Amino acid sequence: MAKKIMVVDDDPIIVKYIVRIAQDNGYETCSANDGIEAYTRLQEEKPDLITLDLQMTEEWGPQFYRRLAKEEEYKHIPIIVISGLASRHLSIRKAVAYLAKPFDPVELITIIQKTIGK
Amino acid sequence: MNPQILLVDDEDGIRKVLGIFLSDSGYDVLTAENGEKALEICREYQPPIVLSDIKMPGMDGIELLKRIKKLYPETEVIMISAHGDIELAIQSLKYEAADFVLKPIQNDSLEVALKRATEKILTRQKLKDYTENLERLVKEKSEKLVETERLAAQRYQQLFDEVPCYISVIDKSMKLTAVNRRFKEDFGDAMGSYCYAVYKNRTSPCSNCPVQLTFEDTQSHYSEAVVTSKTGEAHIVLVWTAPICDHHGTPIQVMEMATDVTQVRKLQNHLSSLGLLLGSVSHNIKGLLTGLDGGMYSLTSGFAKKNEELLKEGFETVKIIVSRLRKMVLDILYYAKERELQWEKVDVLAFAEELAAIIEPKLSVHGVGFITCFDSSVGTVEFDAGAVHSALLNILENALDACLEDKNKPDHHILFSVKQDENHLIFEIQDNGIGMDKETTDKLFTLFFSSKGQKGTGLGLFIADTIIRQHSGIILVESSKGIGTTFHVKLPNARC
Repeated sequence: MAKKIMVVDDDPIIVKYIVRIAQDNGYETCSANDGIEAYTRLQEEKPDLITLDLQMTEEWGPQFYRRLAKEEEYKHIPIIVISGLASRHLSIRKAVAYLAKPFDPVELITIIQKTIGK
Repeated sequence: MNPQILLVDDEDGIRKVLGIFLSDSGYDVLTAENGEKALEICREYQPPIVLSDIKMPGMDGIELLKRIKKLYPETEVIMISAHGDIELAIQSLKYEAADFVLKPIQNDSLEVALKRATEKILTRQKLKDYTENLERLVKEKSEKLVETERLAAQRYQQLFDEVPCYISVIDKSMKLTAVNRRFKEDFGDAMGSYCYAVYKNRTSPCSNCPVQLTFEDTQSHYSEAVVTSKTGEAHIVLVWTAPICDHHGTPIQVMEMATDVTQVRKLQNHLSSLGLLLGSVSHNIKGLLTGLDGGMYSLTSGFAKKNEELLKEGFETVKIIVSRLRKMVLDILYYAKERELQWEKVDVLAFAEELAAIIEPKLSVHGVGFITCFDSSVGTVEFDAGAVHSALLNILENALDACLEDKNKPDHHILFSVKQDENHLIFEIQDNGIGMDKETTDKLFTLFFSSKGQKGTGLGLFIADTIIRQHSGIILVESSKGIGTTFHVKLPNARC
C-alpha cells in the first residue's frame, strides 16, 4: 500500500505543488492549511510523514509540532520542515530535515524516500 | 561757619561781656534786649542755641522759653538765673530748657551748659540722620527685594513657558492646574480640564498613567504616548512625571513634562518598519519563488505528459504569483520612497467606476453589500490616478475588514460615493462595520499604528494619508464604536 504524506502549508499554491511532487512519485497525499486543521485530520488520514510550514496564520508550525509530540500515537511521525524562515526553529528538534523555500523537489523526494521508503 | 547763638538779656552790660565771651568761644552771637526782639530774631535766623535771662521786663525768660519751644522745638534754650530765682530756674527745666547757669556767670559752668546743649543738638541731628538713613535704606532694600522677587517670578514663568516641551501640573482628580505656553499653543488653555480629555479625547484615565503611578509611590515615572493636539494632529510624546509634595512628603500634585518625539519616532519607525518590511519581503519572496516553482513544475509535467489541464493549472499559478509580486513591489515602492506624483487629467466618473468594479467582487464574496452614488457632473480633475486609486482601495479594503470584524449586525454594506463642493472633489466611503473609538480614530494615520493586531502592518492608512496630503488634500474620519465609520477624502479640484 502506498505511503501517505500530509502537506501542511497556508499557501494553497505551495500545497498543490508539494502534493503534486509526492503524487508523481507514487505517494498518497492529504493536506491542511494550518496546524489546527492538520491536527483534526490526523486521526482519519494517519499519514506516514508530514511536511510542515512554520509561519502560518492560524496555528503556526512549532505549536502544532508540540501538540503532536505529546501524543503517543503521533509522536513518531517523521516531519520535514519546509519554511521560508531564515533560522532553523529550535522547537522542532526532531524533524528529519529542514528545507528552505524555495526548495529543490529532487532533494525533497530523496529525503522522503530515505525516511519512509518508496 | 560758626554756630549761631542768641543772647537775650535786658542788661546792656551783661550782653556785652557775655557776648565777647561767646564770640571768643567760637559762636556767631546775636543779641536781643527783650523777649519780643528775641522771637523776631528767632523767626529770622532760627539759632540753634538761645541763652536767656529769666527775669526781664515785659515777656520774661520762662514765657520766651515756652514760645521758642513751641515754635522751634529743636532750639536749645539755656536759662540765666539769679541765685534767688533758683526755683524759677528749676521750673524752666520743666519747660524743656536745656540747662541753667547762675549769676554771676562762671565761665566754666557756662561752657559745660553750652557743651551739653551742643551735644544734645548733635545727638538729635545724628539720630535724625540715622532715622532718615534707615528709612531710606529700608525703602531701598525692600524695593530691591520686590524687584528681585518680581524678576525671579518672571524668570521662572519665562522658563516654564519657554522650555521646549509641554509642561502641565495635574492634581489628584487628574485635572490640569497649570500649563505652559507650549502646551497652550498645541492643546489650548485647558486649565481645569481632565488631562486625559485634553491629551487623548478620552472620558476616563488612561491605563498605566504615569501621573497616577507618581501619586501612588512619589517616584518619577516615564512613558510614551500618542496624544492629539487641538488641531487634530497626532504627536508622539515622551512623558516624565515628578511629584509636587506638601511638607509631609505627600504628593498633592504631579508635574508632567512631555517632549514631542514625533519626528524622531517617524524616522525610527521608518527604519524599523523598513527592517521589518525587508524581513517580510524576503520571506514573501521565498514563498513566491516556491509557488513559482510549483507553477513551473505543473507546466513541465503538463508539457511532458501533453496534459492540457496541467498546463492550464501551471499557467494559472504563475499568473497568481505574478499578481502577488506586483502588489508587493507596489507596496514597497510607496513605502520606501515618496514617489513623485504623476499628475494627469482624470475622468472622475470612469475612475470611480473602475475602482468599484475592483472592490465589488471582494465584497460580494463575503456577503457585504455595495452601494455606489456618483455625482455624474464631476467631470475631469487633475490628480495622480494610480496613487489616489491605491489610497482609496486601501480605505475600501479597511471598510471591508471593519464589516467582517463586526459580529453584531445581521447585514453589512459599504457606501461609496463621489461628489463635489466648490473647491473639492470628495470621495466618501461609509461602512456599518465595527467602528472605532475617538482614541483609535485619532491615531489612525500614525505610521505603524494598526487596529487590526497581527493582520495589519500599520502602513496602509499612513500611505493613503501621505498620498492625499501630497495632493494638498485631506482625509477626514467620523466613526462611532459599534455603529460604523465614514472616510471623507477631499482633493482640491484645481491643481495648486
